[in-house]
Amino acid sequence: MTYLFQILNGIGLGMLYFLLAVGLSIIFGLLQFVNFAHGAFYMLGAYLAYTMVERGLSFWLALPLAFLAVGALAALTEAVLLRRIYAQAHTFHILATVGLALAVQEIVIIVWGPIGANLAPPDSLSGVVILGDFIYPEYRLFVIALTALLAGGLWWLLEGTRLGAIVRAGSEAPETMALLGYDTRRINTAVFGLGAGLAGLAGALAAPIRGVDPFMSVEALSVAFVVVVVGGMGSYAGALAAGLAVGIAQSLMATLWPEGARLMIYLGMAAVIVTMPRGLFGRA
Amino acid sequence: MIRLLERPIVHFALAAATALVLPLVLRSGTLASEILIYGLAAAACNLLLGYTGLLSFGQGIFFGLGSYAAGLLLLRAGWPVLAMLPAVALVGAATAAAVGWLSIRRQGVYFVMLTLAFSQLFYFLAYTLSDLTGGDNGLLNVPRPALGGQPLSNPWTYYAFVAVLFLGLFAALQRVALSTFGRTLLAIRDNEARASAIGFPVRTFKVAAFAISGAVTALAGALHAMLIGVAPLSNIEYHTSETLLIMTIIGGAGNLFASVLGAAFYLVAGDLLSAIWPRWLLLLGALLVAIALFMQRGLWGLIERAAALVAREPDPNAASADATLPEESRP
Repeated sequence: MTYLFQILNGIGLGMLYFLLAVGLSIIFGLLQFVNFAHGAFYMLGAYLAYTMVERGLSFWLALPLAFLAVGALAALTEAVLLRRIYAQAHTFHILATVGLALAVQEIVIIVWGPIGANLAPPDSLSGVVILGDFIYPEYRLFVIALTALLAGGLWWLLEGTRLGAIVRAGSEAPETMALLGYDTRRINTAVFGLGAGLAGLAGALAAPIRGVDPFMSVEALSVAFVVVVVGGMGSYAGALAAGLAVGIAQSLMATLWPEGARLMIYLGMAAVIVTMPRGLFGRA
Repeated sequence: MIRLLERPIVHFALAAATALVLPLVLRSGTLASEILIYGLAAAACNLLLGYTGLLSFGQGIFFGLGSYAAGLLLLRAGWPVLAMLPAVALVGAATAAAVGWLSIRRQGVYFVMLTLAFSQLFYFLAYTLSDLTGGDNGLLNVPRPALGGQPLSNPWTYYAFVAVLFLGLFAALQRVALSTFGRTLLAIRDNEARASAIGFPVRTFKVAAFAISGAVTALAGALHAMLIGVAPLSNIEYHTSETLLIMTIIGGAGNLFASVLGAAFYLVAGDLLSAIWPRWLLLLGALLVAIALFMQRGLWGLIERAAALVAREPDPNAASADATLPEESRP
């Protein structure tokens, strides 16, 4: 029974990892841009949700607002700053976004202080669900349900809508898209905002589970990298499968060997790299 | 003038001058030692970034491992310093070869992500194996034993010891960079497919570059642990990897002395600014963005430009700067 509990826990965690990684993946797919500030956007989402709830705003409003605010901020950053770096080597994409992440981390410490804080789940979800002899927090069930809905919506957005077609075409053949008269710059900005907004939403959803602290960004970034390396960048199914695998593995290990739970994520990744260098769903 | 700046012997002379001048301009022997130690680690990072084209976010692994290995050998095994150093270099080389071998299975950004993930792996490993590493507290009471009867307890005596090792290892890295091996690394950096088509075993070369870089980085980590008397968990953290990479890029990739310059700039700026404003890393973040936008050849690029101005020669950056100018993609 504890295993079932941990697997359920892992699904919730894994869906958050999926949200985080899929944003990174979309941005890279379209822009060929490695966003090392992705973890910083995740952290900002968590802190914004925390502050809004602390100031008395409903958690239900804080969630979409965190998504919108982080998305808008990221879009602005892209339009003002990052788009000037696209033409350069990956090294400078990484350098600029590492700089950005560092600046965000310091700003978070200035505004919110160096010590983390906890955020209670909303009252309507603070209870537990009892299924037989099996107790589970409502909030975590809600996270699973919401992220599953979001995953479906996102899949529809990317695969079933005109916007999704434009985004996918843009990542295959940006010049052709520009020749056809699409304003690729606006598409780029919008997609960057969407990807970062998803990271912000993941942060906001994670805040009641893990709390907020100024160093949560690095952990989030490296987990997102593991998911993307294992699942294959630009692959929606890969991000989902790898996100769930990482989440479930981490949760199961938390009962078997608590200190080593996070170590196992990275050992697992090393094992995948040795056996399947292209990742689970990798194309290139 | 420009030609002069390209000559390896000049770079070595600059490194030697740095080691001599630091005691004259700095009041703290600890800061001076730190500059040489991080300069060495940044130069080793540069061997990968500037010479092989491998942006490794895993340099902290080797730095931290060097600290722990030094601490354990000196403290628990009671080894003398001169026996400890080669052992640490071996540990660094072996670990770096393994991490490198695994990471180069993927290329480009995947490679970078893998190195970062491996740095997390070793961080959690060090955190978990607290019997060996002291976990969160770090490995305390790392001794600084006397060397051939000469105690190293005084900060400036220790600095002299660090300086000698620094110059020796800097010269060794230069020899590597200038050798046929080093030239081949440049060929791999510039066009991997071509180097491979000519018949070079590209992966073996990359792993070898990792091993050399890891050995030197681990030695720097060992010197650091002896300097501060602790092998802290933070030495193996993401933050150390990031710092080493930032020092390398601020100095300028592809030039070993530039890395020493980058380390000196980072540490002195940090020392001055953190006294005024503890959140100075905010400024550093802004500086990194500015470097990515405007001065991609780092501090060394600035020096070359200044030298070109003085000598009224054409700017050596001009040709490459054109190629990297941000191109506005208007449909």
